[in-house]
Amino acid sequence: MAALLRSARLLKFSPSGLLQITGTKRNGPPLSRLYSGTLGGTRTGVCPRNINPAAGNASSRVWPNAAGCVRKYSVVTEQKDETSVAVQSKQAQEFDWALAKLDSSVRRTGRITKSLLLRIFHDICRKGYPSGNQALLLLRSCGSLLPEVPLAERTELAHRVWEKLNELGAQYDVSHYNALLKVYIQNEFKFSPTDFLGKMEAANVQPNRVTYQRLIASYCLNGDIEGASTILGFMKTKDLPITEAVFNSLLTGHARSGDIESAKNILAVMKGAGIEPGPDTYTALLNAYAEKGDLDSLKATLVTAASDDCSLMDRDLMQVIYTLAKAGHQQHIPELTERLRQERGFVPDAMNLCLSLITQGMEDSAFHILKTFPVLQSDSLTTDSPNLGNFFLRHCVNMDTSLEKLGIYCKALQELNLHAAPLSFTLSCALEANKSGMSFALMKMMKEQDLPVRIHYFWPLLTHYMKDMDTSGVAAALKCMQELELSPDSETLTNYILAIYPSMEAARQALQDAGMSLQSEGVLSSEVRSVALKSLAELYILLSDPSFPPLDLSFFRGSLILGFRRSDDVETMVKITELLYNDERFTKGTNMPAEKVSYLLYNLIDSMSDDDVQAQEEKLRKYFNQLKAKNITISQNIFRGIRNLLDSYHVPELIKDVIVLVDPKEQGQNNPVIPVKRHVGIAAKVFALEKKLADLKAENQPISAVLRQLIHTLCAEENLQRALEVKQQHEEAMTIGSYAVLLNLCCRQDNVDEAVNLKREMSRKDSSLVLDTGKYLGLVKTLSKHGRLEEAVDILKEMKEKEVLIDDTQVTVIFHILSSLAAKGNTATIQRLQETIFTLGLAKPTTNLCSPLISAYLDSKDLSGALDAVMACHDRYKFLPRIHDIIVGLVEEGNTELLQKAMDFVSQKRGEMTMLYDLFFAFLQTGRYREARKIIETPGLRARPGRLYWYAEKCISANKMESLEQMVDLTTKLFECDRDEMYSYILRLCKETNDWKKAEVVWTKMQEENVVPRDRTLRMLADILKNNGQEVPFDIPETWYEQIDTTPKEKPATNTVTQQQTPTQVGAERQVHLLTLCKKGKVKEAFELLKDSKERGLVFSPSIYDQLIRSLLAEGFMEDAMAVKDIATSHLPTFQLSDTATSLLIVTLSKRGLTQDALEKLRSMLSEDRVPTQLSLTRLVQALGNSGNVAGIKEVETLLKNLGMNINMSSIVFVNNIALAHIKNGDMDSAVEVLEEQYTRPDSVKPSIAFVFRKVLEENNEKAIDKLSVMAERLANHFACYRPATDLFLQLLDIDKVEDAKFMLARCNAVAEQKEMLVSYMSRKAQTPGQVGKIKTLRSLIPNFTEKELLYSYLMKCHFLDKDLPSAKALYEQMQKEGIAADELSLKRLATLLRSEGETVPFTEPPESFKFYADKLKERAEKSQMMAKE
Amino acid sequence: MAAPSKKAFELFVSKIPWTAAGKELKEYFGQFGAVKKCLLPFDKETGFHRGFCWVGYSSEEGLNNALQKDVHMIDGAKLQVQRNRRPFEVQKLNKDSEID
Repeated sequence: MAALLRSARLLKFSPSGLLQITGTKRNGPPLSRLYSGTLGGTRTGVCPRNINPAAGNASSRVWPNAAGCVRKYSVVTEQKDETSVAVQSKQAQEFDWALAKLDSSVRRTGRITKSLLLRIFHDICRKGYPSGNQALLLLRSCGSLLPEVPLAERTELAHRVWEKLNELGAQYDVSHYNALLKVYIQNEFKFSPTDFLGKMEAANVQPNRVTYQRLIASYCLNGDIEGASTILGFMKTKDLPITEAVFNSLLTGHARSGDIESAKNILAVMKGAGIEPGPDTYTALLNAYAEKGDLDSLKATLVTAASDDCSLMDRDLMQVIYTLAKAGHQQHIPELTERLRQERGFVPDAMNLCLSLITQGMEDSAFHILKTFPVLQSDSLTTDSPNLGNFFLRHCVNMDTSLEKLGIYCKALQELNLHAAPLSFTLSCALEANKSGMSFALMKMMKEQDLPVRIHYFWPLLTHYMKDMDTSGVAAALKCMQELELSPDSETLTNYILAIYPSMEAARQALQDAGMSLQSEGVLSSEVRSVALKSLAELYILLSDPSFPPLDLSFFRGSLILGFRRSDDVETMVKITELLYNDERFTKGTNMPAEKVSYLLYNLIDSMSDDDVQAQEEKLRKYFNQLKAKNITISQNIFRGIRNLLDSYHVPELIKDVIVLVDPKEQGQNNPVIPVKRHVGIAAKVFALEKKLADLKAENQPISAVLRQLIHTLCAEENLQRALEVKQQHEEAMTIGSYAVLLNLCCRQDNVDEAVNLKREMSRKDSSLVLDTGKYLGLVKTLSKHGRLEEAVDILKEMKEKEVLIDDTQVTVIFHILSSLAAKGNTATIQRLQETIFTLGLAKPTTNLCSPLISAYLDSKDLSGALDAVMACHDRYKFLPRIHDIIVGLVEEGNTELLQKAMDFVSQKRGEMTMLYDLFFAFLQTGRYREARKIIETPGLRARPGRLYWYAEKCISANKMESLEQMVDLTTKLFECDRDEMYSYILRLCKETNDWKKAEVVWTKMQEENVVPRDRTLRMLADILKNNGQEVPFDIPETWYEQIDTTPKEKPATNTVTQQQTPTQVGAERQVHLLTLCKKGKVKEAFELLKDSKERGLVFSPSIYDQLIRSLLAEGFMEDAMAVKDIATSHLPTFQLSDTATSLLIVTLSKRGLTQDALEKLRSMLSEDRVPTQLSLTRLVQALGNSGNVAGIKEVETLLKNLGMNINMSSIVFVNNIALAHIKNGDMDSAVEVLEEQYTRPDSVKPSIAFVFRKVLEENNEKAIDKLSVMAERLANHFACYRPATDLFLQLLDIDKVEDAKFMLARCNAVAEQKEMLVSYMSRKAQTPGQVGKIKTLRSLIPNFTEKELLYSYLMKCHFLDKDLPSAKALYEQMQKEGIAADELSLKRLATLLRSEGETVPFTEPPESFKFYADKLKERAEKSQMMAKE
Repeated sequence: MAAPSKKAFELFVSKIPWTAAGKELKEYFGQFGAVKKCLLPFDKETGFHRGFCWVGYSSEEGLNNALQKDVHMIDGAKLQVQRNRRPFEVQKLNKDSEID
């Protein structure tokens, strides 16, 4: 954790911190060192200075696959669907989530925890069909990535993974065998290489170079030179190259066989074979001496390595430290820790070293290393206490390090001021690990050191005892408490102890056995609490016992309330309440018992949710009523509290039951107001035009139009001469358009003089004339080409003055103008133009626009000039165009002085890292690989994926395999380098050149490097092999995306690499793009994109397909939606539509009248226990009604009822549509019968059948209208049921059948009395614009259906919605005339209208928001309604 | 008292070391004014508290006194103390705690 914090802080100051490095005296000018090869004395290349340690670890290269998966699913979390996406894909997502976790763990810490690994293992098993890649990933995790797990256990785990995945059908190829070998080596597992080869043979897997190398390594680890030689012989016969790794193993082998001289001699043999001993060779030699404890030779070797210009990293030295500790020579460790440079990644590496040492019982050596950890300087910035060594202490606890040692470490950490509270931290680890014995001992240790030991320290252990029902554990804990002189408080007892015993009695006994006092408040209250939760009756017996000691209600109120909430025993609740009310034993302090009980009631209601109270309404009513009977009273204050609560819970009905409890003395002081609740020939054409022109001129008529046409035609013919003559003849009739065409032709024919003349003439005619951007730029190009720079500049200035805009395509034109000048080496002209353009702001400076100037210098081989220019460019515009070409030029020229200057500059302006990359690429480009290596191995340098990608693309497009391979090779140890990505670049070039042999070499190298390839990398490799008729030696990953990654990106090779996209991001980006298109409603576009993606073989997550299906359905494109479903199913066999999508499909089918299909969908949905949306049901039922399918509607109704689904659907939807279905079938009587029944039933809620009226009215079904209106009248006249009549009246009104409405009203007077429905109609109409007429009609028919105030208010709202200011003003005047005060909401509306029309508001505009006044009005209306009711 | 809308004078305290429980917090924050309530949620699965709590004072004075002090330390650990801005959650948690 500390490492994490540290890295975050360091990142902040890294740019400034890197500035001072170049040319320090100590190291000399770095570049001269580069050229002098081994001249320098210090260990490293360009800048032997460390960038500070930070978290992270190169081993992240192990996980490229994981990172890819994470991207793939990144969108999914965002787009969470309601329910049922295919189960398998869900598992896949979980798995990828776990993988992401693994990746993050390795990136951060260089290790994985066992539990995380196991979890992922199980996930893969559960998912079934593990891919070869997943198996590889798991296998490779069973080695040194598990420093916290003992070696034997790791191997065991590797075997379990191997067998289990094999059972599940994972295909193993040579890469898996090689991975297993690596794990064996890392875990020092003894195995028989012969048997291993036998197994491979049996499985028909051919061993490759890596296999042999690793077998040699394992023989050597056992000191078996003979065995190693046999394999070596094999390799020689197979003509396999003997790499450095083999020599390193042999070195180790000789040393382990006790022949240190032969070991040492390997270095000479290697040099003889033409292989330079690298850091790994020296590390192997150092390890050999370390095993022997030969410090002198060790030190001598370190010196030799340094003089051999071989830089050993901290990680190499740590290996040596580990060897020393293991061989029991820990006394020499300080010699090595001193040499650690604490470079980037030191902390996590050192932590892993410590963990490995502790795991193997060498905690003292681990502690020594811990003490060398860098102490945070940033500690002074925060006052956070030091906490170095948490990981150390925790792992010691987990490994059961002796208490004595733990005590010593804690003491030392505290004394060294490295950790503020090591002991309590250690205890927390022991508690977390559920180590009782260790925890108890640590607590005692703390007490001895006068550190506080508190009762809650026992809780973590107690939670475990509770889960396991471990009474002896509790007994031990109680005993320990006693020894520590602690007594369990009531919280401890109630929450963590008592529940474990079968009865209170057993609990009392256990406490007594442990020697605890039973009369303590803690024991008493816990007892009462547990009893309260168990049985209220028992509780009453306990409390009412006179011998029960005094105990304040506050000690058990929470439990009592919970007991009350759970119990149905109102009697006992009342008895207990009464007891508490009267008995002073439960009241401590000044509170009156009565008040105490009042609060109990308030707290009881407050503790319940609104659902609870609603569900328990009856019980509570009974309880309150009985309290009343017992003469229990509450204060007015408490009553208000309870009333507000009940009100907020929407159960005001209970209020009256509470109010009666109010002390009569207080009652009547104020009446409780209960508050209540949104498109001839040219010569002929020219001739004709010239003739027409002459004719017109003779007739003295305007000729401009014909002239223009003539000039255009001549220009199109490129006949500049004739065009100019024509112009000459008719100068007075020339228009701007004619001039523009001529000018353009002059520029195109490169006739600069004539162009300038034309421009001058034009301006003379009218200086305000403006040409378009293209013409101006054409002029600038011609002028600058002819060296008429000042005139070109003047044109630019004119563009600025006349505000001629330059868009993006024209910026490219500027670039071409400048570039054509660059080809002539005309630097001064370029510079002047460039500056003018930027200064005038015609175009913004960009790297591209700045580059022609540099190109001009480069083309004329003036590197110095180019450098100065690029520096000036950076000073002005912050761009470094073509810096790579300049540096390459300087490197080729060997101009160290200028190169130094360039590097200093880049370093200063862009940071050291950028400088180093520039230098690295320059060396790569020029084939100076040795120098490139020195650069990339600069300590602290980390991978910059964008820059590496940029260079890789450059190599791929230029077909520079050597340079690319070198880059990939040199970056092997580069911090945070995505190795799979790097190898994939080589494979891409292989694919382009169709070089399968190279591709095969790449695959072997990947295994050697332990890289887990991403699926797309494997597919690319498989494609290359297959295209060349080669056998693919591994399992090809299932359909995944292909083309997109193998086609080179058409990206401009600019010198600055910003954030370029790596190929793997394409899929994820499309996914996001798809979602965006869906959300923007561009569904057709999204659909096309998806089809294109399918062609490219891209597969998305199920939710993406579902989203698109839903979006298409929402727009009614059912066929397209089904096409998407087919695409999804072709990729994901288990793909299923989500509930929402299926519901939408039902809606679409219903709308198209395909009711049978819709019904079928609903049936299958319900049979899978999936829930359709209410809208889909309503639409289906309506569609069924429309088609006269009574049975269908009844089926839907039954289906829903049978499933008991909680769908908020009014039964009237079914009734209305059944009636409509009957009507459709011509069966009026049945329709009437169905509807009538709704109103004549005794329990009728008098539902609205307006929908039925509306439908028949819309269809103009006279017969039905008649029948229904007769029914409505009958209901009104005989049953005093006015709802249908009113519904009909309003529907008639709504479709503007005013006369019919009038008639209806005349027959049914009572409709005018249905004020509530009429007002509700008005308020509904007032919600949509353009409906004011309906309200007015209603008013003309029933003048007094509502109060004027309300009517005017709604009318104002209508005018506001219609933005009809005149009507609003007229209404306002009328109101004033009639003396009706406008409410604030109306005034606010009128004021807003007035202001929007730019008129002044003649009254004070209400200051608050619309909502405020709306709420205010609502409240008032409700109050008055209440009053009316009372 | 009974009105839920009543202004609360609450602190939200985080980074509480595991060694301190409600009693220690009440005691510590009591030095600035009368503490009406102190809610330190414990994780019933692990037996450790979650590292944050709410402290309610009965008066604004207590709250201000506590906020005026720069550094609050308990058991050698620096606490992060701020005015509680999310009373609604407290209300909910309050309810949960009573279910305990």
